[in-house]
Amino acid sequence: MANGFLIALVIGLPWLGALIVWRTGDTRPERQHRLAAGFSLAAALAALLLLTAPGDSPALTLALGGLFGDFTFIPDGLGVLLAAIATVVGSLAVIFSMDYMRGEAALGRYYALVLFFIGAMAGLVLSGSLLAMFFFWEITALCSYALISFNNDDPKAVAGGIKALLITSLGGVGLLIGALVAYAYTGSYQIADLLAGTEAIPPDVLSLIAFGFLLAAAAKSAQFPFHSWLPGAMEAPTPISALIHAATMVNAGVYLLARFYPAFAEVPGWTTAVVAVGLISALMAAAMALVAQDLKRALAYSTISQLGYMVYAVGVGGVFASQFHLLSHAVFKALLFLGAGAVIHAVGTRDMRQMGGLGRRMPFVRNAFVIGALALAGIPVLNGFWSKELVLEAGLAGGPGWAFAGMLVGAGLTALYTFRMVWLVFYGEPRAALHAHDATPAMRFSLGALAIGALLTWLLAGPLGHLFEATLPHHELHVLSTGELVAEIIGAPGTWLALAVVAAGLALWWWRERFRWLAAMLEPLGRAAEQDFGFEWLNARIAGATIGSAEALRTTQTGLLSWNVAGIVGGLIVVLAVLLLAWGA
Amino acid sequence: MTAFAWLIILPLAASPLVYLTGQWGIRRGHPGAARWAGLIALLAVWVPFIRAAGNFAADGAATLTAGTQTLALDGVSLLLAALALGLGTLVALYSAAYMAADDGQDKYYAMLVLLVGVMIGLGCATDLFNLWLWFEGMAISTYLLVAFYRTQPASLEAGVKYLVQSAVGSVFVLFGIALVLAQTGTLTLAEIAAQATLTPGYLAAGALFVIGFGVKVAAAPMHTWLPDAHAQAPSGISAMLSGVVIEAGLIALLRALSALAGLALPWGVLLMAFGALNMFVGNLMALRQQQVKRLLAFSSLSHIGYMLIGLGVAVYAGEAAGAEGGLFHMLTHGLMKGLAFLAAGALLWALHLARGDHGALTIDDLRGAARRYPLIALALSTAVLALGGLPPLAGFMSKWQIFQAGAAAHETALLLVVIFAGLNSVLSLAYYAPLVNAMYRREPSEAVLAGAPVPASMRLPLIILLLAVVIVGFWPGLLAGLTGPAGAALLAAFGGG
Amino acid sequence: MSASALHILVLGTLALIGVGLYGLLAVRNLIKVIVALQIMVKGALLALVMAGAAAGQPNLGQSLAATVIVADTVVAVVGLALAVQVRRHVGTLDVRALSSLKK
Repeated sequence: MANGFLIALVIGLPWLGALIVWRTGDTRPERQHRLAAGFSLAAALAALLLLTAPGDSPALTLALGGLFGDFTFIPDGLGVLLAAIATVVGSLAVIFSMDYMRGEAALGRYYALVLFFIGAMAGLVLSGSLLAMFFFWEITALCSYALISFNNDDPKAVAGGIKALLITSLGGVGLLIGALVAYAYTGSYQIADLLAGTEAIPPDVLSLIAFGFLLAAAAKSAQFPFHSWLPGAMEAPTPISALIHAATMVNAGVYLLARFYPAFAEVPGWTTAVVAVGLISALMAAAMALVAQDLKRALAYSTISQLGYMVYAVGVGGVFASQFHLLSHAVFKALLFLGAGAVIHAVGTRDMRQMGGLGRRMPFVRNAFVIGALALAGIPVLNGFWSKELVLEAGLAGGPGWAFAGMLVGAGLTALYTFRMVWLVFYGEPRAALHAHDATPAMRFSLGALAIGALLTWLLAGPLGHLFEATLPHHELHVLSTGELVAEIIGAPGTWLALAVVAAGLALWWWRERFRWLAAMLEPLGRAAEQDFGFEWLNARIAGATIGSAEALRTTQTGLLSWNVAGIVGGLIVVLAVLLLAWGA
Repeated sequence: MTAFAWLIILPLAASPLVYLTGQWGIRRGHPGAARWAGLIALLAVWVPFIRAAGNFAADGAATLTAGTQTLALDGVSLLLAALALGLGTLVALYSAAYMAADDGQDKYYAMLVLLVGVMIGLGCATDLFNLWLWFEGMAISTYLLVAFYRTQPASLEAGVKYLVQSAVGSVFVLFGIALVLAQTGTLTLAEIAAQATLTPGYLAAGALFVIGFGVKVAAAPMHTWLPDAHAQAPSGISAMLSGVVIEAGLIALLRALSALAGLALPWGVLLMAFGALNMFVGNLMALRQQQVKRLLAFSSLSHIGYMLIGLGVAVYAGEAAGAEGGLFHMLTHGLMKGLAFLAAGALLWALHLARGDHGALTIDDLRGAARRYPLIALALSTAVLALGGLPPLAGFMSKWQIFQAGAAAHETALLLVVIFAGLNSVLSLAYYAPLVNAMYRREPSEAVLAGAPVPASMRLPLIILLLAVVIVGFWPGLLAGLTGPAGAALLAAFGGG
Repeated sequence: MSASALHILVLGTLALIGVGLYGLLAVRNLIKVIVALQIMVKGALLALVMAGAAAGQPNLGQSLAATVIVADTVVAVVGLALAVQVRRHVGTLDVRALSSLKK
């Protein structure tokens, strides 16, 4: 089948490119740049073509044989949309890197890992088999780890990479167990069989699968209580933050929830848990973004918060709303990160306290960044406005009132921290003598393309809805054309409420001098937010306890022969005793 | 004679010839003669192996009777033979350069060939005492290899501990054999299985087997010799010890227990309990380890744990997937750990041994190794990430199969074991990942700056194993031809399947 | 075999195991550790002979014992050879001194 071939290209081209760029060698950096860009663009082209040839059945099947079943790939709406995001944003990030990474060492490793990631991400979302999905899921974690600690000489980068790997793999155990148990009861790894066969699974087992998947999704999407790896991941080169930690890999959790929503919606407590995870993440991370001083960390907290919106959307049944917001967010957040990358590349620091007034010296970056910021804040008519309103509307229609109220507050906070960030970086007076220059051509291309995307992708709402409806037989979707959607959103009272809250957030920043009393009142909360609400402390304690027990256990390796023989004799006595006791019983 | 007979006889007969060739070479001023003889001998064993494997595929299990003794080539024996011969050949090739400057190469290669031979034999034993004899032969042939650097105190210390602890285990096995013989009057595994009943006598025999063979398997708390021996042996031997010898011990244990499986007794529970303990102890012991080879040795402890869990699930719940998974992990662990030890050994050789320094390779030494030794750094990184269970590498698939078998039994307790094993995999990444990060630093360590170049004959085995680890990760069915029949044979021996 | 003879043999086996284990756990001289190992193996030999007799196959038990003696001699020789090297290169036969490898 033609679309099977396209799937093979979408996954295979970046992987082939990874191999070729790696083999090119670091002595020929120009060729590495060009090859990486070429392969990622080719994959993006294949993914865009795939959008025109969707289907709801396996288009490509690789038989692994025996107990491993078939690796199937299905070009359905969810899959092709995310594959397109992964490859298009991926190629823009690669093009951005051509300037950003110029002159860096170990380019071969960099591009090979980026391309390996792009292919794996596309594979993850196109997989029709649970094993294949987990396979790609863990490859993306591997690439993320290797790219966060790309600069291995920096201990912070190494620590951040290992932390990301450990926390996402820890959550991954939930997906692993869920997939294994699903196989044990359905006898198949095919996702379609799980979605269609939930009646065959006992309720408590289904509940185990559902919550296992939620655990994996929360860890991958940096949601409460696993969010703390994402700020540490900001040690990665900025194009990586844009690609992996904003636009693609972190979406995998939301994708997972959306993909399996039909199977788990009836599991008692599951949707409530999903809503709660989304709500807590959205609010907590927004508060942290408000007090962050590091530009990339502020964006990372914002990502956690926005992913919270998507998780919330799935929890209230708005699968399409969540994916629509995912698309918007991927575009505007990649734009913001790449814009931040251009700033950091120019001024050499990430500390917003040292920036200020940069807008005059780098107008192109400022303009692009402001477009992204307006989309993030939910200002009409940018893509973030439409998708956030759609999420909130779904929440009002299908979710609990308290959660909706919380998400509204979150929208206000989003506006507040976004304006603060833009102001600190681009406006006001320069606070330090920083050298700055505007973006270079390759950077401009990526920024420009994403800015146009932030202005226009909402027009795709109608076609995407129909694509989902046509190819996702297990999902119940409420589909409208773009025009109808626009009319509905404009006509909905929730929209105006949300806009009022956003305006309030804006006003709060504008007249921040007059609201000093409010800031003073909330200072304890701000300090807690700066401390990551105690999660860093908790992580440190868990790591400390593990290391402590490891050190304690190491003392048992005394190196004394008599002690070692005593271990053997002791082992015999225990085993004999256990066996004889069991026999007696 | 049949191919099977040649498979048994050839390496055993070649071993003294390798020694004599080596001696002759030393007298004639060719100290490297033994390495050629060893390599040729092992390559020659491939001929009967391939023919025996072909016969097995066509006609099923084969037997070989000499006097009252019978050897049988079933799926399990074939798998062990493949592993021993495959890794042994690569190690012989690798050692050519690694050992080139050392005295006693004649003994080294003779012992290596003998080790491969006795492990092939061990897999084919059908009689309890015969099994012990091969097992003892395997132990003896490794004692001198572990203590090969006989002027180095650390190497001698490791050799002494290994010898004494192995010997204690071996005596326990003998007591177990005596108990079984006294009760059944036979030593043939199949005949014992027909008679064994649930009495304290058989239980005690089983316990003696579990502990006695458990010493060689390095089941905690009998594991204490392993980090010393695996870290101090020449790196090729470390690869053999970790990749095949402890696994051969595990097969010996399973063979012996299978004779007692007529008991309505969950030996599987015992295997799983040791598996869980081993994973946990191995991972925690490795977590703060600074010496690379010692770290890898502790990691073997945890990997034996995975095999024990897979095989335990098979014995306990009759899950064929568990037996296949456990044996599959045995193969992939041989590839991964073989690669890890050979790669770490190449760095140890380049940074220390080539300069006459017998110090340990520390994680700190690895700093910046990737710039100077890109292939070796890639090999070691791939090996440890595969051991950590990351795709698209071999360890992911074999762990997955073990876990799948655990979940397939629909039992909460087994699922908890699987969850525990999954969490342990995550924990293991906490010590594998820093190795990789250290190697890919830009700033090289002093040891790397002063390091010697690594010759191609040492790199070739690394490339072969590296490709195998990646290819099996993408195509796990590739080894199903070995693991399928082996799993079935094992399950049948335990009265299941 | 009479019951009392069997008892004596069982007791003898247990005594040999006990002495051997005591030696392994408490003795510091490496040569004596190897001797202790040998004593344990002698217990195993006795057990094998006894088991053959008890099962009505005395020849089998004795031939097993003879084989074990051969195998075990090799182990003892290797062990003693190691002891010689230890004495030469570590400078002592105290097994407690052989504890540089730990943790």
